[in-house]
Amino acid sequence: MNNTVLIWFALPLLLGLALVTIQRFRRLSAFLATIIPLLLAGSAMVFSGGLTLQIIGRVFTLSDNFQIFGRTLQITADQLRILALLYFLCFLWNLTSGMFDVGRWFNSLSLVITALWGAVQFISPFLYSAVVIELIALISTPLLSPRGTPAKNGVIRFLSMQTLALPLILLSGWMVSGIETSPSAEALVLRGSLLVIAGFSLWAGIFPIHSWLPMLTEEAHPWIITFLQTIMQIGLALFFLTFLNQFAWLRNLEGLTQVLKWIGSLCIVSAGVMLVFQRRLSRVLGYIYLAGTGYIVLSMASIQQGPLELLSLMLLPMIFSYWSLGFTFSALRQALDSEILDYDELAGLVWRYPRISILLVSSLLNSFGLPLFSLFPSRRIILGIVATESLAIRLFISVGILGMVLMFLRLLSVLLQPPPDVEQDKVESPFLALPVALILLLMLVGGLFPQVFSAPLNDLLVSFQNLLR
Amino acid sequence: MVSSLPAGAVNFLPFGWGQLMDEFLQSLPIYIALATAMLNLVRRQWTLNLISLAVLFISIIPPLLRILPTPLALILPFTGLMVTLILYLTLLNVGGIERIHFFRRPTSGEVFRALVGAFQITILRVFLLTIQQAIFPQVSLNHLFLSLGLVLVGLLQLGTIQEPFYLAIGILTFLSGSQLLISALEFSYLLEALFVAVNLLLAIVGAFFIVKNEESKQHE
Repeated sequence: MNNTVLIWFALPLLLGLALVTIQRFRRLSAFLATIIPLLLAGSAMVFSGGLTLQIIGRVFTLSDNFQIFGRTLQITADQLRILALLYFLCFLWNLTSGMFDVGRWFNSLSLVITALWGAVQFISPFLYSAVVIELIALISTPLLSPRGTPAKNGVIRFLSMQTLALPLILLSGWMVSGIETSPSAEALVLRGSLLVIAGFSLWAGIFPIHSWLPMLTEEAHPWIITFLQTIMQIGLALFFLTFLNQFAWLRNLEGLTQVLKWIGSLCIVSAGVMLVFQRRLSRVLGYIYLAGTGYIVLSMASIQQGPLELLSLMLLPMIFSYWSLGFTFSALRQALDSEILDYDELAGLVWRYPRISILLVSSLLNSFGLPLFSLFPSRRIILGIVATESLAIRLFISVGILGMVLMFLRLLSVLLQPPPDVEQDKVESPFLALPVALILLLMLVGGLFPQVFSAPLNDLLVSFQNLLR
Repeated sequence: MVSSLPAGAVNFLPFGWGQLMDEFLQSLPIYIALATAMLNLVRRQWTLNLISLAVLFISIIPPLLRILPTPLALILPFTGLMVTLILYLTLLNVGGIERIHFFRRPTSGEVFRALVGAFQITILRVFLLTIQQAIFPQVSLNHLFLSLGLVLVGLLQLGTIQEPFYLAIGILTFLSGSQLLISALEFSYLLEALFVAVNLLLAIVGAFFIVKNEESKQHE
C-alpha cells in the first residue's frame, strides 16, 4: 500500500463499501465516516509537498502511478492538495450528520462518492471521467430518493441530465484528437468547444436547463443535497480547469471568456429573479446553488485576471457557506417537522426558534456574499472584474443581487411576524447555541480576515501548470 | 462476421438478388434493434418491454461484430442482457409480470410517441449521409443509423416519461446508442469497463426505484 492511487482512491472506496455492511450501527458508521476522510485529508496535505516522508529515522516513499486495463492512473503530489480538499469536505458533512435524520446510506456513500470525485480529477485520459460522473449520479440515487417515498420528478430529471452530458463530453474527446493534428481547423474547434460547454451545462444545471436543481433541493434532505451539490460544484469546477489546462485550443478560443461571462451572469440573474417569487425555503436552496454556479463560471471567465487565485480564494468560504446552509435548513426541517419549509410555516420563527433564525439569516446573507461575511472578499473581486464589462452583463448581475436582497427582506418580514397562536410541541435545544456561535464567528472571521480561509489553499491548483501565469 | 455467413450464401442468387439480399441481411439487425427501441418508447407493458429490451441487445451483436473482435463485441450485449435479467427478477418479485395484450387499443399518448419517434427516425435517415460526411466519416452508414437512432429514441423516452422503469429503459437505450457510436470511433478497455459498471449500476437503480415505488403504493 505504498501507492497514491491505492491510498487515496482504492482504500476509501473499499472502506466506503465496507461501511455499507455496518450501517445498522449508526454511531459507529458515522464515527468511521468522519475519521477516515479526516485522516485521508490530513495525510494528503502531509504528502502534498513531496511523496517522501521521513519520521523518526524511517523513510516512507510513495509511488504515484498505478496500471489498470492498459492505462496508467496517476496521482501526483500536487494533485494531493485537491484530494485533501475533497476529503475535508466529506469530513465536514459527516461530522454533524448524526444530528439529523439523513438515513443509513449517507455515511458510507458519502465516502464512496468523495473517492469517485477524486478519481474524476486524475483518470487518464481525463475525458473518461465523464463516465465516472455518471456513476456518481447513479450512486447518489438512494440518497436523493430514499425508500418509503416514490421516485419524484427532480431525481428523474437529474439522472436524465447527467446521462445526456456523458456522450457529449466523450465525443468532444474524439473530436479533440482531430483538432490536435490540425490546429487551424476552426470548425472542429468550434464543435469541440460546443460539446464541452453543452456537457458541462447539463452537468452543472446552468440556466435554462436548471429546473432539476430546485426540484431536487425540494425533494431531498437538505444535509444530503448540500453535500452532493457542493462536492459536485467543486468537482466540476476543477474538472473544467483540467479541460482548460489540457486543451490549448479551448483555452485560447476567442470568445470563450465572453461566453462564460454571459453564462455566469445569466445564472445569477435567473437565480435572483426566481428567488423573489419562491414561497418554499427548500427551493430557495436550489437557486442559491444556481447563483453559486454563476459566480464560479464568472471566476473561470476572468482568465486574464488570474482565475486560479480567485478560485482558491472562494473555494473554502463557499464550502463553509453551503455547509452552514445545510446545517440551518436541516435544523429547521427537524424543528418544524416539515420537508418543504413553506413560508407560512416560518411565520414568527424568530420568536419560536431564535437560534435557528439567527443562523438562517446569517447563512443567507453569507451565501449572497454581503459585506462582513466570508464570501464577500471573493465576490467583491468578481464584481470588480465584471464592473468593466458590457452594460447588459452588469445589469444582469445587479438585477440578480437585487433579487437576492428582495427575497431576503421578504423572508425577514415573514420571520418577524407575530407568532401564530399554536402550541409549539418542540423546544429549541440549548446545545444549539454553541454551533450557532461558532458558525457566526467563522463567517465574520472569514469576512474580516480572508487569509484565514485562503491561506490553506494557496497551492491548491499548482497542478494546472498551463493555467499558471 | 455473423451476418457475412448467410450473406455469402445468397451471393449465388441470380439477377443481382444476392447483393440485395446481402444488404438486407446486413441491415436486418439494425431495423430490429430500432423497432424494439420504438416498441419500448410506445407501449407501456412491462413484460413486452423486457422482451423488447432483450431482443434489442441481441440484435446489436452483428453490428458490433463488424467493428470489434468477438469477445469485445459481446461485452455490451451481455451486460444489457444481465441488466434485463435484473429488471425481470425485480418485476417478478413485485408482481409486475403480466400477460401481454398485443391487440389492446393504442392510447393517444402511444400514438403521439409513435408518430414523434417515426418522424425522428425518418429525419435521421434523410440527413444521415450529410451527418456522416460532415462529422463521422469513419463510421459506416448502417452503424451510424443504428447508434444515432437509439440515441434519439432514448432521448425521446427520457423526455416523455416519469415512471422509473421507463427511465431505466430510456437511459439504457440512450447509452447503448452512445456506446455503439463511441465503439466505432475508438476502443478502450478502461472505458468499456466503466460503461459496464454504469449499466449494471443502472439496473440496480432501476430495481431500487421499482421496489420503492411498489412499497409506497402499498403504504397508500
